[in-house]
Amino acid sequence: MDKVTNVRNMSVIAHVDHGKSTLTDSLVSMAGIISQARAGEARFTDTRQDEQDRGITIKSTAISLFFQMTEDDLPDIKQKTDGTAFLINLIDSPGHVDFSSEVTAALRVTDGALVVVDCVDGVCVQTETVLRQALGERIKPVVIINKVDRALLELQVTKEDLYNSFQRTIESVNVIIATYNDTALGDVMVYPERGTVAFGSGLHGWAFTIRQFAQRYSKKFGVDRNKMMEKLWGENYFNPKTKKWTNKGTDADGQQLERAFNMFILDPIFKIFDSTMNFKKEETNMMLEKLGIVLKTDEKDLEGKQMLKTVMKKFLPAGEALLEMMVIHLPSPITAQKYRVENLYEGPMDDVCANGVRSCDPNGPLMLYVSKMVPTSDKGRFYAFGRVFSGTIRAGMKVRIQGPNYQPGSKNDLFVKSVQRIVLMMGRYVEPIEDCPAGNIVGLIGVDQFLLKSGTITDNDTAHNLKVMKFSVSPVVQVAVECKVASDLPKLVEGLKRLSKSDPCVLTFTSDSGEHIVAGSGELHLEICLKDLEEDHAQVPIKKSDPVVQYKETVKAESSIVALAKSPNKHNRIFMKASPLGEELADAIEKGNVGPRDEFKARARVLSDDFGWDNAEARKIWAFGPDGNGPNTLVDMTKGVAYLNEIKDSCIAAFTWATREGVFTEENMRGCRFNILDVVLHADAIHRGGGQIIPACRSAIYASAYVAQPGLMEPIYLVEITCPEQAMGGIYGVLNKRRGHVIGEEQRPGTPMYIVKAYLPVAESFGFTGELRQATGGQAFPQSVFDHWQLMNGVSNEDPKLIEKVLSIRKRKGLKDEIPPLDRFLDRL
Amino acid sequence: MSTTLSGPSNFADDGSAVISRTIEVHSSKLASEATDKIGSCKDIYEIERTVAVIKERGYKRIALQFPDELLRDSGLVAQLIRDETKSGVYILADTSYGSCCVDEVAAQHIGADSIIHFGRSCQSPTSRLPVIYVFGKQPVDIQHCAATFDQLFAGDKAKKVILMYDVIYSHCVDQLLNALRSEMNYAGIIKSGVETESNLGYVLAGSNSNETLEANHCGSAGTSGCCSGSSTATTSESCCQNGSSATEKSCSDTTTCRQSKATSTLQQPPAAAALEESSPDSSTSKRRRFGRTYTLPEGDQIEDYSIFYIGDESPTLSNIIMTHSKCEVYSYNPEKRQGRFESALVNKALMRRYFLVQKAKDADVIGIAVGTLGVSSYMTMIQHLKALIESKGKKAYTFVMGKLNVAKMANFMEIDCFVYVACPENSLIDSKEFYRPIVTPYELEIALSGSMEWSGEYVTDFQQLLPDEDKIGVDKVKISQNQLDAASDREDDDDAGSDEDERPHFSLVTGTYKQSKKYTTNKEDSRELSELIQGTTDLTLRNKNTSVATLMSSAAGEYLQSRQFRGLEVNLGETPVELATEGRAGIARGYKTEDGYLDREKEGY
Repeated sequence: MDKVTNVRNMSVIAHVDHGKSTLTDSLVSMAGIISQARAGEARFTDTRQDEQDRGITIKSTAISLFFQMTEDDLPDIKQKTDGTAFLINLIDSPGHVDFSSEVTAALRVTDGALVVVDCVDGVCVQTETVLRQALGERIKPVVIINKVDRALLELQVTKEDLYNSFQRTIESVNVIIATYNDTALGDVMVYPERGTVAFGSGLHGWAFTIRQFAQRYSKKFGVDRNKMMEKLWGENYFNPKTKKWTNKGTDADGQQLERAFNMFILDPIFKIFDSTMNFKKEETNMMLEKLGIVLKTDEKDLEGKQMLKTVMKKFLPAGEALLEMMVIHLPSPITAQKYRVENLYEGPMDDVCANGVRSCDPNGPLMLYVSKMVPTSDKGRFYAFGRVFSGTIRAGMKVRIQGPNYQPGSKNDLFVKSVQRIVLMMGRYVEPIEDCPAGNIVGLIGVDQFLLKSGTITDNDTAHNLKVMKFSVSPVVQVAVECKVASDLPKLVEGLKRLSKSDPCVLTFTSDSGEHIVAGSGELHLEICLKDLEEDHAQVPIKKSDPVVQYKETVKAESSIVALAKSPNKHNRIFMKASPLGEELADAIEKGNVGPRDEFKARARVLSDDFGWDNAEARKIWAFGPDGNGPNTLVDMTKGVAYLNEIKDSCIAAFTWATREGVFTEENMRGCRFNILDVVLHADAIHRGGGQIIPACRSAIYASAYVAQPGLMEPIYLVEITCPEQAMGGIYGVLNKRRGHVIGEEQRPGTPMYIVKAYLPVAESFGFTGELRQATGGQAFPQSVFDHWQLMNGVSNEDPKLIEKVLSIRKRKGLKDEIPPLDRFLDRL
Repeated sequence: MSTTLSGPSNFADDGSAVISRTIEVHSSKLASEATDKIGSCKDIYEIERTVAVIKERGYKRIALQFPDELLRDSGLVAQLIRDETKSGVYILADTSYGSCCVDEVAAQHIGADSIIHFGRSCQSPTSRLPVIYVFGKQPVDIQHCAATFDQLFAGDKAKKVILMYDVIYSHCVDQLLNALRSEMNYAGIIKSGVETESNLGYVLAGSNSNETLEANHCGSAGTSGCCSGSSTATTSESCCQNGSSATEKSCSDTTTCRQSKATSTLQQPPAAAALEESSPDSSTSKRRRFGRTYTLPEGDQIEDYSIFYIGDESPTLSNIIMTHSKCEVYSYNPEKRQGRFESALVNKALMRRYFLVQKAKDADVIGIAVGTLGVSSYMTMIQHLKALIESKGKKAYTFVMGKLNVAKMANFMEIDCFVYVACPENSLIDSKEFYRPIVTPYELEIALSGSMEWSGEYVTDFQQLLPDEDKIGVDKVKISQNQLDAASDREDDDDAGSDEDERPHFSLVTGTYKQSKKYTTNKEDSRELSELIQGTTDLTLRNKNTSVATLMSSAAGEYLQSRQFRGLEVNLGETPVELATEGRAGIARGYKTEDGYLDREKEGY
């Protein structure tokens, strides 16, 4: 732990059901924590009962493993090492899209990622998402192609087919990686011949890299191991007759040669499979002898699959292959933080904290990022789970706890408190420790009251925050909850707080109408959250409403007339027009590429270069809203108005308010630009105070939006459905019924499976999974992830369908059952 | 219900609303419209009773307070009373707050020794002057009302019902009760009572040496001139007289109510007794809600009862619905002659209030808006709220601004939340048009003090919030001051406690942690100041970002720092010295010296 060069922090990421937890098991079994026999079944990292029951991971779980390398393997490690003992901090993450916020939190504290890909399913939507996330955080990936046993047993593919399938999968991984060409991170594509790709079966507990086989054969052939590795992949063939290597698929006589990979690696495996599964005892024993595998007496009597498992586990133990791969190819914290510091630290790159993080200095200033909260056995208390990026954290140490809104120099969101204790997180267990140097992952006790979900912990007064995590999912689905017994309310409120802590993504709040809202990324996510709320956090019976989605109000055109609003005293007039901001810019603002914190000249340049704004106008953006950073802007386009800066604060207040509660449904506005064209102000300061300007500006905003073809936007899921051909009809039927539209359909090469991609309104997605299963006899499995906001057809105050929608939202919110008329906002001269 | 919760709708008001506003006069039958003016006036305004009381007490300067819709009758009424009593009679109109509240301050301007309040009343207890309430009798079709009642309760004869009513119908409630009890055999009906006088009791009890408790009360409240003018009044005798005279007029009086239900309370002066939550008599539990009293038989809970309200939609009705959220409320509108079930929306309304509580919890700077100068112990309440706010390290500012409106309230952008101290019927202000939420004292109490939890119960009457000793205490202000000191002492002494306070709370509005800003009380302020003076080293630690070293925990000062515009720039030495010149003249809509004044005139806006 103190030898940071020998620490590897890595997370296991993949599509759902590709076998992360199962694979992790085989690693854990290496460390002797669970028995060899149960490995692959116990799913050690699925600590929760519902995880075990449902067979999916919900929360990411960390474990630490020790791994001893052999001396002669050390030269292969291209970075500084110290001794042969390695500590591997491994985080098993959930695969279901709804929980990808857990993945984000896991990635933040790790430097490397083991990407698990199902050899039959190939690269799926979630594989892609998490891989992109990893690369975005500058995390180096290695790949394991899992479930090779399935290909052999179920699909009975030939060796060449299998090779091709491997090849394709690796290629598609590399295609994704290639789009993230990051010079700081270097070449992170995966190559089997370099040992960054493993093949195996988590369930059976075996896996190999080409390196391992190369090791075996290098002795036999007397070739250098590294050279051998290159020969064992790709267009390399061995001509057994001439005993020569060639890179042509045919020999001199035009005879088909067998690929080296197939011949030297797949062949023995195929033979073992063949002999054990077909009960050829003799042959099996011969093979075992040849490979030097010794079975125990009781194991000798095993048959079929059991035998296969035992043999393969002995032949190619998964733990060894994977741990070796990680140790050799994944970066140590020292290596990784050199290039990650830019992505991690908000402050200037040359201050003492940045330097501490860059060099992963245990003696530097303490910089620790808390990425999530893990519930303790003590109800209502949490471990703050995070990574020490610089310095050393000690129990009892007084630290500065900086929340996500902390700004250096301010006291906002800042607490100075001492850390009570430090623990190592070991799956189901924790182990208290005294201190922990930079580069490690720890749990802290005693800071959970001061941080809701994440934050920075430091001991340096001038430290800026470590960057706040960006999640790929957003909480677009909401339900209202209430307790069945009114007097349970305090417990429910406490429960909501705990729920909010325990999940990186979930939002809990009270709506305007006083309902308690739980917002999650999808139906499954919400289901789990509500179950947790009821059973663990609040422990009171709750009632939940039907799920509802959020909408956004927007404008589709420039205001048809100049909207005028007068202040309550009639002495001030504001002239305003609204226009659409454009989808690209709204997206950019939401992603944080353009925002209020940018330097205004630089921002103006970006706006004029990329989004076609007038440079002068772009410099006069007064505010973003709602919340000061939302995808709407207020632009000052007045010319020579006296006292204008005096009303700026009031206008911003009105703008924030109006964009938070749109005119039709009181939902947030999105993608609107409000231009203040002219302002007439009263000469007396008292008559143009906030009390006059706020209502006037707010109604000017409403009026201008009202006459600018107002529309509603609804959230849209990108759904990916994997299914056999015969189920396609059912899928189309269900999608059509739910306003979904298919955007792509392709057959996965080498399999009978099709992948259908479609857009589906989130509002229509409730019960979608169930209905799909029904329509396809359980053969189709959808994955939905929030993709974008889509404009709904029609104009909010004209189209009868949309009016109906608006009214139904208003009704749900307890607002007046009518669209407010325009003349409530629009004044005449 | 909906009318009262929507609040003022003057969002960018163009003023035309004032002109075109129809004041609801149709509901009141005016005496001046009747053929026999004097006769009907006497009848509607209970001149006889009023005069009797005035004569008996010998009031010399009498203020008549009329709501807008009854002003037309005011002259006639004043005339009649003046003729009968030969006292000085003054008419008050255009109250600063709600017309339901007794405007004591206006009455004091003319040095009145008593007030006669006409029209609808919120029945908030007053503190200074004796008040006679005259509601103005409005007709009710008793038979139809009883039939509607029968319909609404579907003939469930054992149903427990509390009969409540708008004060203007109080005269015929006994008849209705009789009709329901005897003709329709409803057994479980309880009538609520309203007061027709207030504060008279203090005067009565003043000379009663036996009842020391009441004597104390009297000492506190009866400080105004009314004491001397009524020293001739006898004790319980006159109280009974009062009661009986009221009964003759078939007007329901608290005293009569008590006579029939719990005789043991008879001796107590009305105001003092009414303030007690439950009478000492063990067989009954008396409840008082905004001037209405009712007595439940032993063992009965208020939840068991339904409420039948006579009157149309009004703040009174919504108040009853809010505060009796666990009861079913039915109403009968004598104007439209229809009855209906009212409670359907109460949960929505309560939820909305709950949201406002959450907002109040997040507020760092709280404005106390004074909405009454009449309701007794409002000063105590303000002091109490101040102490509460400051004990939580938040900042309180007090505002006196008459009737609330959007523009006025939005002028104070640094305030995070307002708490409105007003009579129960005016307290519920829920309009989204306001820039900042406005909560009731009860809601603030829930938000700030950890001792109370939101339970679905609701209190609009702030009197119920005050600790008992504060209710009618001589040293009201002192007590709260003590509390304040104690609170700050606690904070000083207990460092562990402050650690507890520092902890951020989970804000349900935003769904994140909210760290409260700390605005220290004066005491600590001075300490801080002295520290600052002693150790100049503190100054070197100041932040680069703030130009002013310490703002001395002033919320407004801090807000000013965050503003982009901070007033005119002071360029000392750069602005040339000039002679003073004549300023503007005219009115705000356009000063005469201003350019374009004439244009604006033409525009006529």
